Amino acid sequence: MNDPTNVKLRLSNSELWGGLIGLALGGFVIWSGLKLRLGTINDPGSGYVLFYTGILMCVFASAIIVSAITEGGPTLASRWENVRWSKPLVLIACLTAFAFALEPLGFLLSSIPLMLLLLRLIDPVRWTLAIPIAVLVPSGMWWVLKRLLLIQLPSGLFGIG
Amino acid sequence: MDTLVNVAHGFGVALLPVNLLYCFIGVFIGTLVGVLPGIGPISAMSLLLPVTLSGTPESGIIMMAGIYYGSMYGGSTTSILVNIPGEAASVVTCIDGHQMAKQGRAGPALGIAAFGSFAAGTFALVALMLVAPKLASLAIAFGPAEYFSLMVLGLVVLTFLTQGSMPKALLMACIGVVLGLIGLDSITAQPRLTFGRMELIDGIGLVPVVMGLFGVAEVLLNTEQAIKRDVINTRITHLLPSKEDWKASAGPVGRGTILGFFLGILPGGGAVVSSFASYALEKRLSKTPERFGHGAIEGVAGPESANNAAAGGAFIPLMTLGIPPNVVMALLLGAFVIHGLQPGPLMITQNPGLFWGIVASMYIGNVMLLILNLPMIGMWVQLLKLPYNILFPLIILFTILGVYCSSNNVFDVYVMIAFGIIGYFMRKLGYEPAPLVLAFVLGPMMENNLRKSLILSQGDLWTFVQRPISAVCLVFALVLLIAPLLPSLRKKRELVALDEGA
Repeated sequence: MNDPTNVKLRLSNSELWGGLIGLALGGFVIWSGLKLRLGTINDPGSGYVLFYTGILMCVFASAIIVSAITEGGPTLASRWENVRWSKPLVLIACLTAFAFALEPLGFLLSSIPLMLLLLRLIDPVRWTLAIPIAVLVPSGMWWVLKRLLLIQLPSGLFGIG
Repeated sequence: MDTLVNVAHGFGVALLPVNLLYCFIGVFIGTLVGVLPGIGPISAMSLLLPVTLSGTPESGIIMMAGIYYGSMYGGSTTSILVNIPGEAASVVTCIDGHQMAKQGRAGPALGIAAFGSFAAGTFALVALMLVAPKLASLAIAFGPAEYFSLMVLGLVVLTFLTQGSMPKALLMACIGVVLGLIGLDSITAQPRLTFGRMELIDGIGLVPVVMGLFGVAEVLLNTEQAIKRDVINTRITHLLPSKEDWKASAGPVGRGTILGFFLGILPGGGAVVSSFASYALEKRLSKTPERFGHGAIEGVAGPESANNAAAGGAFIPLMTLGIPPNVVMALLLGAFVIHGLQPGPLMITQNPGLFWGIVASMYIGNVMLLILNLPMIGMWVQLLKLPYNILFPLIILFTILGVYCSSNNVFDVYVMIAFGIIGYFMRKLGYEPAPLVLAFVLGPMMENNLRKSLILSQGDLWTFVQRPISAVCLVFALVLLIAPLLPSLRKKRELVALDEGA
């Protein structure tokens, strides 16, 4: 019986995509190695190891692609089947937003909302517990690091923290 | 006699109050992360890597080592009581350990795991004391060709033992080498793959890469599923195993200890492989193999001893050759480097206080673990009930702070988040991060040794084959690379393949 989650030469084959990304990366590493100067075998240059590592990457990526085409591989959708795929997506969005907010807003103003979002959006913790944790933990950590260990945390445009 | 004098010197260092405190913190955190499913020793060590900066090198490394062997102890508690391995090396303990707990024998299972671990840890330390100085004096004769070949072997063994397809693991190792080469070339000082960014001139830091790939990615994966925990609720009594239990376990403990120690020394091996190997050995030697899987105490005693002995054995290649045999040791190497120290053949003679201090502290740590694990078992059970939806935001916050504090640089936080996302997608597509991390650490050393040996031999590639140690390593690596192509060996590889986090 055919398994609908295992495909061969299809764009939805996740193994094929993995191999293609590997091949592209290998190509880029080979190009970078060439650009940096290969040198000779007596006196290898800065790009020598990069160049040959790039070749190896292409070889291994090609092996993955061949195996994906001949033996087939799971579809991209099946990798996220029966899991709460939206939860890591929310977490990634929160972390990306935090990365952008950290420097302009500073540690305290960016980490308190991050904690609150994580506590409420993934597996919701009740508000009466989420708010104290979200406020007290980053503040406590900030106090320990800044006041006790004298580590300078980003204070942002508003100079808070 | 020399060894005894050195050991006494080591105890002098390890028994300093500050080192005792760091040792206690290390084994306590190790047990904690071993007990809590979802956080392994790698995540915890990467989280605490920046903390090692605050004290002396001895204190920092004593703490890091404590986390490693502490997690080996703690992992068994979760396996036995919850049937979820606290860390990868305790996967096998679930099989018989949880069955014993279901039959009301959680106490003896926990007891034999702790006593077996203690015996194995003690043996591994004595062997480490005896073997390491001898191996270090041998390693002085190693040239760049030997170092290069040994590192190649280490990487190939790890890729061989990694779950999933071998080309994927090898591709990950190559990516790790490339990432490790980012920054200034150590020989020509030419910037490589920096894309004009000043932050990349010194290369990418180990801390953000490891925290991203293991810490953040692990949390992302865990949020996909609601973690269900079936904690054994009955009161845990009779932690001391009975006479019959001791009789049944003595052999498995002894065999597991020796097997684990030797497998721990091998590059790429470690605690996970040894626990699986010990379980398979005990099942094969047993007169009643049908009891395995239904609560056989040998199935707990052997693997638990093996993984602790392997944790001790893994220190040998790092301390004597400066080559980390697995990812955990790569992190420990990172801790050494942070303090400007280079483990290797000269460390034992040039820095005896550090080497013998660490070894002695490991013994003290083993005693602390026995005290922590048995009388405080109730506390660890309570911890198992801590909800993951509160735990994971805290882990995220600690990783962010850990990364920031290690360099005082916001760029590293971006790197960590990026590697966290990359690590999540890598795992979803079946690419394990362990070979990448080991190659990331070994990459610059491999390049350096390769270029040095080529310059010294005037471009003669035969130099790698003419030197016996180098030739043996390369032949062994080649055999492992070819092995998965043979169907019978491929099956064997799948049996011993280890999960990430080794």
